[in-house]
Amino acid sequence: MIGPRSPSIELTRVSRTYRAGRPEEVRALRGIDLTIAPGDFVSVEGPSGCGKTTLLNLLGLLDAATGGEVRWDGRPVGSRSDRERARLRLEGVGFIFQRFYLLPTLTARENIELPMRALRVPHAERTRRSADLLREVGLAGKENSFPHQLSGGEEQRVAVARALGNRPGLLLADEPTGELDSVNATAVLDLLERVRADRDATLVVVTHNPEVARRARRHLTMRDGVVAADVREA
Amino acid sequence: MTRFGFGSSLRHLRLQQVLAVAAIGTAVALPVVLVSVGGGVSSHELANLQNAGYQIVVSAGGVHGITGAHRLAAQILTIGSVSAASPVLSVPVDSYFESGGPTPVLAEGVIPDQFAPTQGPAESGLFPSPLPLGDPSDLVHYDNGTYAGPATYDVMVSSPLAQAEDIDVGSHLLLSPAANRTIGVSYNVTGTFGVAPTALGPTGAFAIVLPLSDLQVMTGFGAGAGTTVPDAADTIQVALSGAAATDPATLDHVRNEIQALTPYYGVSSLDQEAQQLEAASGVLTGFYLALSSVALTVGLLFLALVLVRRVEADRRSIGIRRALGLPGRWIAGGIVVDGLVLATLGSLVGVLGGYLIVEALSTWGSAAVQEAAQLAVFSPETLGAIVLGVVALSLLASAVATRSALRLPITEALR
Repeated sequence: MIGPRSPSIELTRVSRTYRAGRPEEVRALRGIDLTIAPGDFVSVEGPSGCGKTTLLNLLGLLDAATGGEVRWDGRPVGSRSDRERARLRLEGVGFIFQRFYLLPTLTARENIELPMRALRVPHAERTRRSADLLREVGLAGKENSFPHQLSGGEEQRVAVARALGNRPGLLLADEPTGELDSVNATAVLDLLERVRADRDATLVVVTHNPEVARRARRHLTMRDGVVAADVREA
Repeated sequence: MTRFGFGSSLRHLRLQQVLAVAAIGTAVALPVVLVSVGGGVSSHELANLQNAGYQIVVSAGGVHGITGAHRLAAQILTIGSVSAASPVLSVPVDSYFESGGPTPVLAEGVIPDQFAPTQGPAESGLFPSPLPLGDPSDLVHYDNGTYAGPATYDVMVSSPLAQAEDIDVGSHLLLSPAANRTIGVSYNVTGTFGVAPTALGPTGAFAIVLPLSDLQVMTGFGAGAGTTVPDAADTIQVALSGAAATDPATLDHVRNEIQALTPYYGVSSLDQEAQQLEAASGVLTGFYLALSSVALTVGLLFLALVLVRRVEADRRSIGIRRALGLPGRWIAGGIVVDGLVLATLGSLVGVLGGYLIVEALSTWGSAAVQEAAQLAVFSPETLGAIVLGVVALSLLASAVATRSALRLPITEALR
């Protein structure tokens, strides 16, 4: 079982086709070969509809490839059961979704603690972690606010805090600063970078923000479902 | 229902929840009414059987099929432990009161001193003791099968009939085997008796009681040797004395001895009849439950539909939970809890509704329905079993919805 440490991820000729065989068939990914090493900080850029989010979903085991193979630490994820994949997501992956996806009936603190509860993190530890994370994303005092009581930027920061709660080895972020002003965007990016550095976590960020891309060490550019460029900084 | 569970944000689905509870409630009310009323009537009849004053009954096929009733009763009385053997003949006759046309009444012919000991506690209080019907043994008129002795011409009238027709003790009543006043015989009204309530209405109640030989002669069921229906009766009710009445071995022994006397008649003990009644009641209850299962199935299909609709409406929330890696049992648990809550609420509504329906029937139903409804028994065990059954079946409905939730593609759910 993969723990919170960073996985090595390999994609071999991976494709993802939606509504295959139908007139409205969409080939979101077309035979991608890609290896992401533990501790990588990867930015994924490209125009809308080029397959960035689909790639992120495959890396985070939210979706399954329709062709090729995705391996985590050398083991094909296709051979893992739904239950195993869910456990991997819970323990090892932190998602920051473009649309936040907070649960509207839970407070900010409860949203952050939900994955920790599922992982049976003791109550005192959960409370400490959620308080620390809320403070780090600048939301101290908003613990008991419900999502509808928060601004878009605040929701995004709660989503970031939730992704970090179980101290995952793989952080996947889809436009994590899209709703933030420059001050909060910088704070969130600093936090993500610090987490990555402290725990040697892997960080994959889909972004259109040059500031985010500038911080990454590796830059993927996608176009029409393929990786058009893969640039590593020295 | 719970904030961390499934479906907590679906306020717009409250109407569906209310309808699901109503559907289950309706489905549960049906068996509650059927089983409680049916069970109550059966229990009442069973209690009547168990409280009868006699323990063995001799009967014959057809109408008035026992012949030689006086002689057979005397023979039975010689068997050890037998305290009374009471032949009973029930025949409708026409009665003529002060003036006016004939009134059909059900007459019961009995041997007075044998009839009283075969009455149960409920019945015995309704009759005067001894019965004021002249010759207690009915052997004077019967006169060893010749019917040559003097008849008493005494009759007792039920209180409702006496009240309805303004009949007093000491007055006379003309009884005739057919609607013909000229062949009628005048009887002396020597007493009245009460009528015990019956679960199935007054159809079984008789209106007059007179000596067996009098009724036999009047209706042609008693005649001298050589006739086709000599000394007829419908049944002979046999009472055992003291502890023998409740001792199965003695009961069995006496029954066998009577059967040996009358191999061509049916001889059964009331405990056998009670067992048969219990078996029949069990079959009936099973039928009620089978009938109710149709309603329950419809109710649970509705519950499954509501839960599946909730999964569809809550697909994003489910998608988020699954994307975060929450175990499937967390999602399933929420659905199951919701299903259980709705089923439990529905069951409780159904039990309450069933109770109110029975109460309404006992107040506003027809006379027979009222009487049956008043006998209803709400057994906690039975009601608990119905509720538990519904709750258990709701797990099936929840399983359908859970399957739907766990098969939802995460990325589609998040769209």
